[in-house]
Amino acid sequence: MKLVDAKKLSDLAAALAAKGYRVAAPIQDGDVVRLKEWSPGAVIRTDAVPVNSAKDFLFPRSEIIGRYSIEGNDFTPVDVRPDSTRTVLLGVPPCDATALAVLDAVFNWDYKDEFYNARRAAVTVVTLACAAADDFCFCTSVGGRPDSTAGADAILRPADGARKFILEPLGEKGRALVAAAASALADGEAKADPPAEVPVRFDAKQVSAWLADNFESDLWTTLSMACLGCGACAYACPTCHCFDIQDEATRQESVRRRNWDSCGFGLFTAHAGGHNPRANQSARWRNRVMHKFSYIPERFKTLGCTGCGRCGRMCPAGMAIADICSEIMRAHEAVKK
Amino acid sequence: MDMIAALRADAAAVLADGRAKMVIGYRALGLRRRPVFITDGKMAELLVYDAACTQNLAAYLRKSELKRFRPMAIVARPAVIRSLVVLAAESQLKAEDVVVMAVGENEYHGIRDLAGATALLKEKYPKLAPPQATLALLEKLSSMTPEERAGFWRAEFAKCTRCYACRAACPGCYCTRCIVEKNVPQWVPAAADAHGNYAWNVIRAFHQAGRCTLCGACEAACPQGIPLMALNVRIAQDVAEEFGVQPGDDPAAKPVIGSWSADDKEDFIR
Repeated sequence: MKLVDAKKLSDLAAALAAKGYRVAAPIQDGDVVRLKEWSPGAVIRTDAVPVNSAKDFLFPRSEIIGRYSIEGNDFTPVDVRPDSTRTVLLGVPPCDATALAVLDAVFNWDYKDEFYNARRAAVTVVTLACAAADDFCFCTSVGGRPDSTAGADAILRPADGARKFILEPLGEKGRALVAAAASALADGEAKADPPAEVPVRFDAKQVSAWLADNFESDLWTTLSMACLGCGACAYACPTCHCFDIQDEATRQESVRRRNWDSCGFGLFTAHAGGHNPRANQSARWRNRVMHKFSYIPERFKTLGCTGCGRCGRMCPAGMAIADICSEIMRAHEAVKK
Repeated sequence: MDMIAALRADAAAVLADGRAKMVIGYRALGLRRRPVFITDGKMAELLVYDAACTQNLAAYLRKSELKRFRPMAIVARPAVIRSLVVLAAESQLKAEDVVVMAVGENEYHGIRDLAGATALLKEKYPKLAPPQATLALLEKLSSMTPEERAGFWRAEFAKCTRCYACRAACPGCYCTRCIVEKNVPQWVPAAADAHGNYAWNVIRAFHQAGRCTLCGACEAACPQGIPLMALNVRIAQDVAEEFGVQPGDDPAAKPVIGSWSADDKEDFIR
């Protein structure tokens, strides 16, 4: 087994950086834990879900996808290369790695997104198995587990009472990473600690079943009333992928940007002619839940939610999708009786 | 009767006797405090109130879905009462549309109408209450050079994802079309990048000048932990110094940034 001392993760990061990887890890940043680029001295946290998700490094909040130089009435496209910096996401929670299946599917569905794919190919995902979970986690309700290897190129397993990590490669990229990190790893034996206890909160299949028959239900109004229509949940979510494209121009140059967007915003579905098919928060919330528990499973055979709990942690109104699903289950059960 | 029991009893009472068609308060779901919208007195048992109840409930008054439930009873701490007074002063709500269930840090002051709640502020909570942590940060910022201060805010705003949780959480942000949602022209760059983030956060703070009641909901809402209250408190201090007013004292007061008087100071014009 390849082992690293639990207190020496920075040495692992340094070894990878020395071999040319850009290293991103959950870093203590003021009062929050943020998944960001590591640099010597940064404190790596292994006991908290970061406020942001792995998607930030594959589908950044704003990305330049086109450039044009302008001369009078003529414009010339300028080549824009996608970012393919070799990157390791070191210590992301398993729910973030599981979410990559959704992003991979959406960005390669009816159009192959070269920007996403370039970053994806250049990223090595090292999951950190969770030894602890908080009140917001619910991976086990959506087919996941705190030590899941789905979507990961390697996994760090806490071992020997959190004194060590076992670094286990899970494929070619993982093996390359382990080889690159050799100077920071020791050979030996260790016993993996038990994964966190994450109680099941609802049955996702029952939620999907209720959704199929209840598009017009009045329950949506009640469920969504506390929602203030911001983008905190969508932006924190590891599977959310909606975007807006905008050109920013001066007289000399125009830059085309792809920016995050949220279905929670009032203008998200506003049409140029003035009509808005999702004119109230109830319709927008219905879309959010159905996208994750109905449309994505139908199209891509995987749930659109991995139970990371960030929506609940970030929402100013305390709206966690897990609570909404639990309430839907109760409604489903009440009808069945 | 303890604070929460009294709150719950009053909620059931106002619904029963028709003083309100809905009670807006908070319920607990694990560690979460979710605003709850009660129309049935039996649900009053769900109500809680503690320091984790950071969302300013006055922000919900802009929701069109709730307009048919007026008059509404709202669980309101002093800063939230001030928000209600500001909304009345800005013609966003009529005094008869709202019933205040006034809460302090550890006490419940009972049911008041807007005038009675305003009197309560004057009697027991006469000054805007900036959070201690914000005052400490402002102390630190005021000892920086302008370049250091600019660097501080540049680093903070680099974290902004333009989720607009700050705007959503704020009762003062009720524009049906926010300035960032206008693109003819695009006044503020939409991208969550340095050039737009600075503009957005500073513009929002400026639009709250003389209107912000220091409720802290914006900073509590920010998923990135940006210390937004430092901007709001600093501006509130300037408004108090330059105009001698604070928001929420008077439901008939003209807004500082929306009004003009021939007596306004001109000594800065040289």
